[in-house]
Amino acid sequence: MIIKLLSHQWRAFWRSRSAGKNLAAQIFIGFVVLYLLACALFLGLSLQHFLPQFFPGQDIIRVFCGLILYYFSIDILMRFLLQELPVLSIQPYLGQNIRRRQLVRFLNVRSLFQFFNLLPLFIFIPFIVTVIGHAHGPLVAACFAISILAITLFNHFLILYIKRKIIINSWWLVGFLGAIGILIALDYFHVFSFRALSTSLFTLLLQSPWLTVVFVALGIASLVNNSRFLRQNLYFEEIARRGRQRQTTEYTWLQQWGLTGELVALNLRLMLRNKRTKALVMMTFVILLYGFIFYKPVYLKSEHTPMILMGALFITGIFIMGYGQFLFAWHSGYFDALMSLPISIREFIRAQFMMFIAIGTLTFVVSSLYGLISWKIIPFQIAAFLYNIGINSVVVIYFATRSYKAIDLTRSATFNYQGTGMSQWINMLVVLLAPVLLYWGLAWAFNSWVALTVLGLLGLVSLLLQNWWINWLTGQFQARKHTILAGFREK
Amino acid sequence: MITVNNILKSYNGNTVVNIPQLTSRQGEMVGLVGNNGAGKTTFFRLLLDLVRADKGEITSNDKNVATTEDWKQYTAAYLDEGFLIHYLTPEEYFYFVGSLDNRSRSNVDEFLKNFEPFFDGSILRSGKYIRDLSKGNQFKVGIAACLLREPQVLILDEPFANLDPSSQLRLIKMLKEWQDRHPMTVFISSHDINHITDVCTRILLMEKGRIIKDFDTTADTLQELESYFKV
Repeated sequence: MIIKLLSHQWRAFWRSRSAGKNLAAQIFIGFVVLYLLACALFLGLSLQHFLPQFFPGQDIIRVFCGLILYYFSIDILMRFLLQELPVLSIQPYLGQNIRRRQLVRFLNVRSLFQFFNLLPLFIFIPFIVTVIGHAHGPLVAACFAISILAITLFNHFLILYIKRKIIINSWWLVGFLGAIGILIALDYFHVFSFRALSTSLFTLLLQSPWLTVVFVALGIASLVNNSRFLRQNLYFEEIARRGRQRQTTEYTWLQQWGLTGELVALNLRLMLRNKRTKALVMMTFVILLYGFIFYKPVYLKSEHTPMILMGALFITGIFIMGYGQFLFAWHSGYFDALMSLPISIREFIRAQFMMFIAIGTLTFVVSSLYGLISWKIIPFQIAAFLYNIGINSVVVIYFATRSYKAIDLTRSATFNYQGTGMSQWINMLVVLLAPVLLYWGLAWAFNSWVALTVLGLLGLVSLLLQNWWINWLTGQFQARKHTILAGFREK
Repeated sequence: MITVNNILKSYNGNTVVNIPQLTSRQGEMVGLVGNNGAGKTTFFRLLLDLVRADKGEITSNDKNVATTEDWKQYTAAYLDEGFLIHYLTPEEYFYFVGSLDNRSRSNVDEFLKNFEPFFDGSILRSGKYIRDLSKGNQFKVGIAACLLREPQVLILDEPFANLDPSSQLRLIKMLKEWQDRHPMTVFISSHDINHITDVCTRILLMEKGRIIKDFDTTADTLQELESYFKV
């Protein structure tokens, strides 16, 4: 049965309307994945040579053990951002004579086809086989490898469970992020050391390999927990929706801007009332914490530091990039209506710019608190902020006029977390890469200050030209209007 | 009011709409009938410039709908649920549509009072988003939003399909009364030949993208249609 269902998935993938159109993009993604796996394998094979260089004079097995928990905590964060829930492909099967247990098993198996589940095999197994196998014998190495796989599974099903919980109740997101934030802060301020914990845990495993049982038990517990949850909620969409009173909300303060204000209000309601967009709003706040990752003292000390700029671009621009790339697609469900009502596309785009500037400014102001770490961060953030609202917003809207795929806002509420997948992130990389490269070149030729000034001025000039940009983007949109409409109608 | 000139639309070599010539007068109620695949919905989409015609043009008040946007000021349409903004409450949707014609909230509220019997108490203040309404009620919201715009051209695709019997009769009554007070050109498609001959003054019978019959409604019209659709 599972094989049959999986074969449907395989066909769904190849027969999807976007498959042909985006073949080039898919091949590109395929290459990126292969490249990353090759890097991982290389890293895994050469770990025994790297570790002594970075940690001279220390026992490399101890160092290795100390890094494992770090890896898996980054793993869980990455999974949170990138791992997609198996699409709600089971809906047509719910009415068929198929046991729920089978459907749940199918969903679980389907979810396993994941990049993140391959990664540890490539990174850890070579080291375990060669170094640990050599020092402690094959039995210990096997137990160690099994433990690593068990932790991978634990993470895999834990994040599926958490994501599904978040879809039902957004407080889970707050809880999850709160927990992660506290752990990062504790480690960052040396209250508590992941590394020490990891070292003692895994060296213990080396001495008493039977502890593998504990890890395997954890992995299985995570799987069982997820399956149990799925079994109980396979048809929650019928139950959960009923009986919630919806309120009419007013944004009277927006009415003073006339049609533009009405359109901003429409976008606000869109964002706050659909799970998919709500996740994006949450993400904007999560990314505010990225400063702790990017703004490291090491980077701050050096002469020119693209990493800081990268972080600043991310923090002040994530909303523009995330929301902007689907600018029209968010409205795909009723785009026919928007196009037959007396709304000019110029007003529509102007409203988006207004929102980008407002939310960009908000994130900029909040993230200015990073200035408390070092005042040097502030000029980076100013430059990144101006560049984002000035240039990136235009770039992103331009790409939106070339995106013809509909987004179904209503379905994402159930089992679906589409949108934060790989291809979007690659798209985002392009928007990030151009300014970083520009900065890098200028900082190398002159200095960091010149580079930042140029970036900021570029953004500012582009911002002043906004009306011109709006006209240009309107033309771009009009040229492809019917293609966009046709794409949105194909669901 | 609306003139069609040599319009042609095909998908993958199949001609979906092929209308050499069609003119509708102001204040005319035009009914489109025909089996599935006759091209009724695509024709409506062409009227609204939602699909690009392969050939020919459609003008509204002597202006090409594909190159100008003036027609949007006086045209209202409801083709399917895709015309509703599903995450708004019905009131919010009405206010939004009203705001496009600079109507105040109270003005919209006042206007909606006319629809109270049609809504049957299950739409306004229902505490639901449009996506949570039943199909029939969604349709009522769509139709009311069209009339709210007081259009000169109204386009409705299968308005009777999802409505309960009494709402169907109310809609017919409403359209007739509305037409007396406020003449508009109406295009309606339907599979219900009883209703459509009741409402419309002119019937277009479509088959495979062509208009094969075009006649004014008389006492014999219903019979004529019945004999066409007989199996």
